[in-house]
Amino acid sequence: MAEEAPGILSQRRRKLIDTRFGRSVLKPLASLKLTVILFALAIFLVFAGTLAQAEEDIHTVVGKYFRSFFVLIPARVFFPRSASVPGEIPFPGGWLIGGVLMVNLLAAHAIRFRLSWSRLGIFLIHAGLIVLLLSELIAGLFQVEGNMNLYAGRATSYVEHLTEYELAVIDSSDPESDQVIVVPGSMLRRGRLVEHPLLPFDVRVDEYFENSDAADARSALWNRATAGVGLRVAAVAARKASGVSGQTVNQPAAYVTLRRKGSSQVLGTYLVAVWLREPQAVMADGRRYEVSLRFKRTYKPYRVHLLEARHDVYPGTTIPKNFSSRVRLVDPTRNVDREFLIYMNHPLRYAGETFYQYQMMAEQGGSVLQVVRNPGWLLPYVSCSLVAFGLALHFLLRLVKFLRERAEA
Amino acid sequence: MNRIGRWVPVAVLICGAAYVVSAMTGRRGAEGRWRMEEFGRIPVLHQGRCKPIDTLARTTLMVLSGRQTFVDERGDSRPAVEWLLEVLSDGLRHHSRAERLRVFRIENDQVLNLLGLAERPGFRYSIDEFRDRIRLIEEHAIRAQNRDSDQRDLFDRKILELANKLQMYVRLANLEVPLMLPPRSGGQPWRTLRQAYEELQSTGDEDPDARAWVEMLSAYAEGNASGFNAAVEKYLTDVRVRMPGEATRTRFEAFVNAFQPFQVGMILYLVCFLLVCVGWMAWGEPLRRSSIVLMVLGLLVHTFALASRMYLQERWGVFVTNLYSSAVFIGWGTVIFGLGLERFCRNGIGAMVGAAIGFVALVIADNLAERGDTLEMMQAVLDTNFWLATHVTTVTLGYAATFVAGGLGIVFILRGLCTRSLGKEQVRNLDRIMYGTICFATFFSFTGTVLGGIWADQSWGRFWGWDPKENGALMIVLWNALILHARWGGLVRPRGTAVLAVVGNIITAWSWFGVNMLGVGLHAYGFMDRAMACMVVFVASQLAVIGLGLIPAKYWASFKPEKESVAAV
Repeated sequence: MAEEAPGILSQRRRKLIDTRFGRSVLKPLASLKLTVILFALAIFLVFAGTLAQAEEDIHTVVGKYFRSFFVLIPARVFFPRSASVPGEIPFPGGWLIGGVLMVNLLAAHAIRFRLSWSRLGIFLIHAGLIVLLLSELIAGLFQVEGNMNLYAGRATSYVEHLTEYELAVIDSSDPESDQVIVVPGSMLRRGRLVEHPLLPFDVRVDEYFENSDAADARSALWNRATAGVGLRVAAVAARKASGVSGQTVNQPAAYVTLRRKGSSQVLGTYLVAVWLREPQAVMADGRRYEVSLRFKRTYKPYRVHLLEARHDVYPGTTIPKNFSSRVRLVDPTRNVDREFLIYMNHPLRYAGETFYQYQMMAEQGGSVLQVVRNPGWLLPYVSCSLVAFGLALHFLLRLVKFLRERAEA
Repeated sequence: MNRIGRWVPVAVLICGAAYVVSAMTGRRGAEGRWRMEEFGRIPVLHQGRCKPIDTLARTTLMVLSGRQTFVDERGDSRPAVEWLLEVLSDGLRHHSRAERLRVFRIENDQVLNLLGLAERPGFRYSIDEFRDRIRLIEEHAIRAQNRDSDQRDLFDRKILELANKLQMYVRLANLEVPLMLPPRSGGQPWRTLRQAYEELQSTGDEDPDARAWVEMLSAYAEGNASGFNAAVEKYLTDVRVRMPGEATRTRFEAFVNAFQPFQVGMILYLVCFLLVCVGWMAWGEPLRRSSIVLMVLGLLVHTFALASRMYLQERWGVFVTNLYSSAVFIGWGTVIFGLGLERFCRNGIGAMVGAAIGFVALVIADNLAERGDTLEMMQAVLDTNFWLATHVTTVTLGYAATFVAGGLGIVFILRGLCTRSLGKEQVRNLDRIMYGTICFATFFSFTGTVLGGIWADQSWGRFWGWDPKENGALMIVLWNALILHARWGGLVRPRGTAVLAVVGNIITAWSWFGVNMLGVGLHAYGFMDRAMACMVVFVASQLAVIGLGLIPAKYWASFKPEKESVAAV
């Protein structure tokens, strides 16, 4: 909309604009030209971030492009995959564009807008958009997602985070509870030596694959592993999972050499991989430990029993018609012991977390729930009510005005 | 308007209505002694849906040969259901007839070479012609299958496509598909004829439905028309008593199949578009009115077709369930938008843009239909009528409105540049309706996108996940918002709005289709290769229009200095 004539503006506001700050900072920040530029930048960023999903998984792309201040967009994302175009384009990231957009909007309201009936729609729209931007910020900062794998007749009390990994060393000598020491996945880099007082041995990472496939170790020319399951199975590097490849989760694997603490005596070189189901036993100083590379786990105060998992398909096809899980949730800390039915589009919200029916594990008769904690989950609902109402109001007022003008003409 | 002019729209309406009625009734033609139409109504269960066997025949033949009819050995064109009957009854003959029918469309020259076939017009071949090379197809297909999906070249994809078609054929010929025998009591599943046969072998139990099918098929194989007709009649009567709901629905679906309302609508829109174009040169008002008459007629047929899809899927209020129906619905939305604009401006522009986009959308839908049955069952996560009816409908209307705005932009640019017809008043009018349409587009695309976010939050706990489809929708919202803010800020005037609106066409096409093409090389079959080519052509054409729009106003025929002042545009 065109800027309002100075006469209508309040005294205070005119003063604000007349200051040097107002002229040189506030006015340019509030300009519609800036808005348009920001929209154009945002469109380009979204476009690039969509193309980038052809080769990287969605989680990485979101982190790099949308939840960042700057991004280096590889030029090759704009070309067919067969052409390898070098170079990168530095570009503002989602947080920068969103942040400046917010400033632009607030500045515009500070110096230009006046609340009136005919502007009410615009106010509501803009208020809603601010809430929307904030909700994405909160989701970016605080949203935690994980998966809970449930097996028939078993209870699960932890959530797995499929984008983070850990090397777990389990000491199960205490019959009451296991002691678990984990090495975070970020430390598992090729050539790195991991030493820690709590670890029963030192760990040297010989090889680390971000994504891997299993292969037959006996047909390999040379096998790194000297002990454990790695004698039979080998890991080979695989291309990273990408947003469009169908495979959405990377399956890392590593070859690690375990050494007696503070010495160079080798206990063995083991293959660890998230796709190996069972942990491997390692003897150190006469005690038995179990080692495994797994998705990062968060243990919960409650446990979930799978009572029944249903996976219905349309007759004569493999198209899923319905997934559902009947579960029993036991939470001693809140004194809860109840049954729930979780199915498509009907999640369970419990204690700030939401449990969604995610996948089925047909062969194990199990079910996978996605567990999400997002403190800002209500904001988009507030936002879209505001914006939809504002848009409807604004365009309706416009339409009425247009029709009245036509009738007069 | 003179007296003749007044009668032109009436005459056009009569012609149009006659065309629609003939499409409804006449297309079945003379089928002679065989009651094929009745046979086509028999319900079967295929891909999870109870449908008339006519639909199965048409969609299968469409996938194999790209047509709903085939040419028999005498060179006559015959309906799909007869082909299916040939295939199903082939096992009862001593010498195969179905394998001599030319229904496999093979265009790729490398594949043709492999099979030792010569190119021929239409590229349709029979199994008989390459029977001895089937093993070769298998070998190459397995090799292609084992290759990483994005390592597959065109030959690999084509050989896989052919192998899939053959597999489809073999399953039909072996009677493993479809599920033909309805449950005889509640709780029983549908069964195939093969299952019934195996049961007979092992337990000696004979299924009366299986017996009825064998009667029909053997009568057909023996050339016994009266026996065939009697068997079909008997079986259908029985089915109607046992499952009246399904029988009514399949009967209706077979009628819609023969009517082909989307094709009828397509033709009506095309004629409507041509009438407006001619009207701009001569005989304006009568032709404009005639075109509106045709457009309304087309819209009625179109609406009937949409409603019948809802009835068949038992999803009232759900317009869009897959890519095919999104094309159909975009067409419908643009026609309504066009008629609405025409109501305001009465200058033919609304009718022209609406009819043009409606026609193109239906052509796109028609091409998408080559991939098989367009009434697919919905995956579990999508199986919710509420969100399908709200989110998908609104977001698709947003696409439609953006395309209409883009179409108006094209009209503005071409008219202004090439003709002298865009005076000050016309510029103002066209600009206004462009602005209004963009407002609508913003509203629908924003609301639709946010509703999608809410659906996502409801079903997997993520309001916004930045996945390609969501991003596509977001880009449309941002683009429309950009145009509005650029106008409000005085950065663009009517000409700039027109140019930006045409850019909107590219962005919408990308969101609608391009996003699905990101996975090219993954599950790319023939269709997406071709769609990609169309997409490139479309984007190039829009860029050309944008280029024309950027030519300085002083070179535009409408704005030449001697006529109007340049400064205002």
